[in-house]
Amino acid sequence: MVFVDKEFITRGLRRSSTGRFLLWILPWVALLGFGLYCAGLCLVKGLNQTNMDNRFVFGLWIFLDLTVIALGAGAFFTGFLLYILKVEELRSVINSAVVIGLVCYSGAMAALAVDVGQPLRSWFTFWYPNVHSMLTEVTFCISCYLTVLLIEYLPIVLRNRKLHEVPSFLVFEYELHKVTYVLAGVGTFLSFFHQGSLGGLYGVLRGRPFAFREGLAVWPSTFFLFILSAAAVGPSFILLTTWLVEKLSRKRLVRPDVFRRLASISGLLLAVYVLAKAVDTLIWINRTSPGTGFQAWQYYSWKPFGTWILIAEIVVFGLLPALVMLTPRLRAHTGWLVTAAAMACCGVALNRFVMTVQTLALPTLSFDSFLSYFPSWQEIGTFLAVVAYGVLVYSFSFRYFNLFPEERELRLEAAAQEEAEPALAGRY
Amino acid sequence: MLPWNYGFDWNAGHIIFLGAFYAVLAVVATTVAWAAIHSRSALRSGQAEAIRWHSDFESLPCSDRVCRHVLTGEFLDRKCQRAFCCGGCETHARLLERNPLPRVEEPQEEVCGMTFPLDRFYHRGHTWARLDRDGTVLVGLDELGTRLLGRPDALRLPKPGRRVHANGAAFQVRRRNAKVRVMCPVDGKVVETGSVERGWYLRIKPDSKNVQAFQHLLRGAEIKPWIQREMERLQLALTAEGATPALADGGAPVSDIAAAYPAADWDAVCGEMFLEG
Repeated sequence: MVFVDKEFITRGLRRSSTGRFLLWILPWVALLGFGLYCAGLCLVKGLNQTNMDNRFVFGLWIFLDLTVIALGAGAFFTGFLLYILKVEELRSVINSAVVIGLVCYSGAMAALAVDVGQPLRSWFTFWYPNVHSMLTEVTFCISCYLTVLLIEYLPIVLRNRKLHEVPSFLVFEYELHKVTYVLAGVGTFLSFFHQGSLGGLYGVLRGRPFAFREGLAVWPSTFFLFILSAAAVGPSFILLTTWLVEKLSRKRLVRPDVFRRLASISGLLLAVYVLAKAVDTLIWINRTSPGTGFQAWQYYSWKPFGTWILIAEIVVFGLLPALVMLTPRLRAHTGWLVTAAAMACCGVALNRFVMTVQTLALPTLSFDSFLSYFPSWQEIGTFLAVVAYGVLVYSFSFRYFNLFPEERELRLEAAAQEEAEPALAGRY
Repeated sequence: MLPWNYGFDWNAGHIIFLGAFYAVLAVVATTVAWAAIHSRSALRSGQAEAIRWHSDFESLPCSDRVCRHVLTGEFLDRKCQRAFCCGGCETHARLLERNPLPRVEEPQEEVCGMTFPLDRFYHRGHTWARLDRDGTVLVGLDELGTRLLGRPDALRLPKPGRRVHANGAAFQVRRRNAKVRVMCPVDGKVVETGSVERGWYLRIKPDSKNVQAFQHLLRGAEIKPWIQREMERLQLALTAEGATPALADGGAPVSDIAAAYPAADWDAVCGEMFLEG
C-alpha cells in the first residue's frame, strides 16, 4: 500500500507517510460523513430541518456561498494576472489557486443544491429559468465557471506522476495547457458577471432599504462593490492558504517575493474597494436610505448590529489591512502580511454576513419585528461538510499533484544553503 | 432566459444574455475540442516522446536547465529556452562560430576519478552516442550514470526494429526504489540491444549521420566542466534527499553510489540526475 501510494507522488517532493496522511484525513472524512447525513435530512425531509422560514429565507448556507465564492475569486484573478497580464511570479501559485477556486465553487454549488432542494428537479433551473431573476444569471455563470475550473483542474490531475506515463493523458495535458489562457479569459468574464450579479441581487431589493442601492443603469452599486471586493481578497486568500499549507507541511513552497506580490495586488485593490465602499455608504446614508423613508441610524439601533459592524467592515477589516499590505516596510514581514490577509478575508466574510443576515433581520414594515436567526444543527452540519470537503480535496491535491511548481527547486536551494552554512542545517 | 421559456422576449437584454451564454459555451467547447484534436494528431504522428521531454524540461529546476555555454564559461548565467535542442539555437551557432571548441589532445577526459572517452558525444541525461564505422550509433551510459545506477535490479530495453527519439526514452532501468527513464541521444531505429556487461545498451541506425543530428550533444572540451557541474548537482541532490555526502576535492565517487547511500530517496536523486520531471 505504502509503495503504491509513493508511486503517485511527484518525484522529488516529500510528503508524509501514508499512515500519517490517513490520520490527517480521518477526522475530515468523519465530518464530511456527518455533514452528508445532515444534508440528506434536509433533502429528504425538506427545509423544515432548518431554522429558515418564509421571512428569513437566506441563512448560513447563502452566507457560506457568498463568502467562499468571494474567497475563491483568487482562482480567476490569479489566472487573469498570469495568463492575460503576464505577471509571471504568480505561476508558482496558479495550480493551488485553481484547486482553491474549484473547491470553493463546487462547495458553493453543493450548498446551493441543498438550499434549493428538490434534487430531482435541479435541471429545471437551466431548462425553465426565471427570466426576471438575477439568480438565473448567477446559476448560469457559476455552472459555466465551475465547468471551466474543472477543465483547468484537469491538466493538474493529468500531470500526476502515474497518469503522466500514459501517452494520451500526457499529450492531452500538454495541448490543453497551451490554450489555458483562453479558459483564463472566459473564467474572468464569467467571474466578473456572477460576482456582480450576486451583489446586484441585494442592491435591487427595493423592499429592503438596508440593502437597496442606487447605481449605474440597471446595475446597483453593490454589483461593482462585490466584483471589487472579490478581486481584492482573492489574492489575500491565496496568500493565506499558501502560508497555512507551508506551516502545516513544514515546507517552503513559494519564494517570499510571491507573498509580497500577492499582498501588493490585494492591498491596492482593497484600498480602491474601501474608498468605493466609503463613498457608497455616504451616498446611502445621505440620499438612498432617507429616500426610502428610513434614516440610516435606525438600522443600527437593533442590537447586536450597532454601528461597530460598519466600522469593523470598512476600517478594521478594510482600511487597516490595505495599509499594511501597501506599506513596503510592513510588507517585508510575513507575520504582518498574513495577519493583513486574514483580516481582509474576515472583512469580506463580514460584508457577506451583513448583506445576508442583517438585511433580513431588520424590520421594514411598521408591524414587522426584528428577527433573530440561529442555524439548526442540520444547517451547521451541512456547512461543516463543505469545509471538510474543501480540506479533503485540497489535501489529496497537495499530496498527489504538484500544486507548487517551485517546491522542488526550493528544496534544492535549501540543501545548497545547508551545505554552505552547516550551522543552519535543519532550519526547515 | 431560453427562447422556449415563458416570459422570454426577443429584446436586446435577453439576446445579449443568451448570446453571451452560448458564446461562452461555444468557446469552452471549442477549446477542449481543439486540444483533443491536436492531441490525437500528435499521438498519431509519434510526437508523444518529444512532448514528454518538453513537459519534463519545463518542470526541471532552473539549475538543471542551464545553457551549455555556461559550462564553458561563455555566460555567467543563462537558462536554456529550447529544451537542449541546440540545433536551431542562434546563440549557440553564433558562439560556436566565434569561439570554436578548443581541441583536446588526450583521447579521454579524467574527471573526479571517472573516465570519459572523447571519441563520442554525451547527452546531458548521462548517455553517450558513438558513431561506428558501419554507420550505426552505439548508445551507452556514461560513467557517472553507471555509478549512479550501479548494478540495475531490472533493465527494459526496446526490441530491435523499434524507433527511438532524441530526448525520448532509450531504455528503462530499475534500481532500488528508482525507476529511471534513460534518455536517447539520437533519433533512429534500434538494430541490436546490448547489456551492462557489453558496456553499451543499444545499437541504433540513426535517421541522419549529419553533424546536425549530434549538435545538441556535448563533446570534447565541454565534458570536463559539465561533469564537474554534475558532481555539484549530485552532491546537492544527495543533501536534499537527506544523505550527507562527503565528496572531498579530488575524491572519486564509489562504483555503486546507490548502495553507498541507503537512506537517500534514490528515486528523487535519479530523477534529478537523469533529468526526469
